[in-house]
Amino acid sequence: METKTKIKDTLVKLLKIKPEELKDEVSLQDSIGVDSTEMVEAVIALEKAFSTKFSAKEITKFSTVNDIEKIITSKF
Amino acid sequence: MLDKIAVTGVGVVAPSGIGKRQFWANVKSGRSFIKEITRFDASKYPSHIAGQIDELEKYSHIPERLLKKIDAFSHMALIASELALQDAGIEIRNEDPNLIGIFLGNALGGWLYAETELRDMYIEGRQGVSPYMASAWFPAAPQGQVSIYYGIKGFSKTVVADRASSLEAIGYANKTLQKGKLNMILAGGMEAPVTPYALLCCNTYGGLSEDNEHPETAYRPFDKDKSGFVIAEGAGIMVLESVERAQKRGANIMATISGYASTCDGANRINPDTYGKQLARAIRLVLERAKTNPEEIDFISLDGLALDLWDNSEVTAIKEVFGNNTKDIPVSCPKSMFGNLLGASGALDTIITVLAMENGLIPPTINLENPNPNGLNYVANQAREYKINKALIISRGRGGINAVLIVEKP
Repeated sequence: METKTKIKDTLVKLLKIKPEELKDEVSLQDSIGVDSTEMVEAVIALEKAFSTKFSAKEITKFSTVNDIEKIITSKF
Repeated sequence: MLDKIAVTGVGVVAPSGIGKRQFWANVKSGRSFIKEITRFDASKYPSHIAGQIDELEKYSHIPERLLKKIDAFSHMALIASELALQDAGIEIRNEDPNLIGIFLGNALGGWLYAETELRDMYIEGRQGVSPYMASAWFPAAPQGQVSIYYGIKGFSKTVVADRASSLEAIGYANKTLQKGKLNMILAGGMEAPVTPYALLCCNTYGGLSEDNEHPETAYRPFDKDKSGFVIAEGAGIMVLESVERAQKRGANIMATISGYASTCDGANRINPDTYGKQLARAIRLVLERAKTNPEEIDFISLDGLALDLWDNSEVTAIKEVFGNNTKDIPVSCPKSMFGNLLGASGALDTIITVLAMENGLIPPTINLENPNPNGLNYVANQAREYKINKALIISRGRGGINAVLIVEKP
């Protein structure tokens, strides 16, 4: 599965949102109102989905779907 | 200081029904809703019967995204709040959020969430625990969720006082409104004890009925063959506001609250004082505060734990205060039909009393074949038509907490 599709799939399932609510270029906070606790949950879910660990520095850059894709792609 | 506070809406989530119409229809029929626990395998517990709510989702307006972050007790509080607001005809967006409060009581907190996350912590480690754990389990979580959902921003409080929690919350709400601090309060309680660990704790306490073979007749308060109480889950929330405000907005005033009092036994860490001395004092105090003579009380809602010491001391206290009039006052313990909602029980008792007042009908204490102790005018097994003007509601907690409320027909 393409990285971006897998990221979106993980977030949609986790946050119980409709796929069309997620916008690639808009921050998760602005598009679907993700709060800090949901972000913690999202990080854990993405770590599981991609069998990886994110550093605190990487997590601070988690804003849009495209940002997350860039960080994940750089790790593989 | 305002004199009386109006009840203008009620929201019920109970084993006997969700919403006041369904709940009242079942409660007045005298039908038991105690069943064997089916949600998880409870067969090894000494007591494995309860009043359960099986179709909560069917009545829920809460999005899935929020549901996964909250415990069942917050979910029930959100549904009961919505029902109460609808019943009162309140549109929150038309209100000043700074002048609305939330006063709720519970005894246990959100154990279903806590239990599963603790299990995950021991199996999967720290990473296995939901980040919502911290905000889902604690006793004030429902207050927080209701405030976030409606944008309520006024002075609010969560009371934890064992089974007396929600009656205490209603009492504090009443006092706050009397002081004119807020326009309106959502007051009541919620409890979700039908979970493996909470059920274990309740079993360890030792007061539960173990008559598992006969769930419908197991909870027998004030009966010779009483065998202890049966737990239940649910929520009861009321809209309280000043009589003046209620009249001004043309609301239906279902009842008014005219007094509240609370005392402590200071006798034992679990059991009440044998002679109910402090319960009697609480009753005298509330009568004084409500400027009511004992002869004016024409209904008493009983706590009824179905344990000898508790039922005997409750009856002793009532007899001490009401003397020769005791036999003339109808009394009932309708929770015998759906179970004891622990910290939320007082709220359900208050709502039943308000509905009894409105309908001129007292729901019965079921499974009451041979009254013991005697001397009270029990409404046994069948509802009784009766016009109530002033009612007394008793709610008690472990360690000797006595909460008493007086409500009146407007």
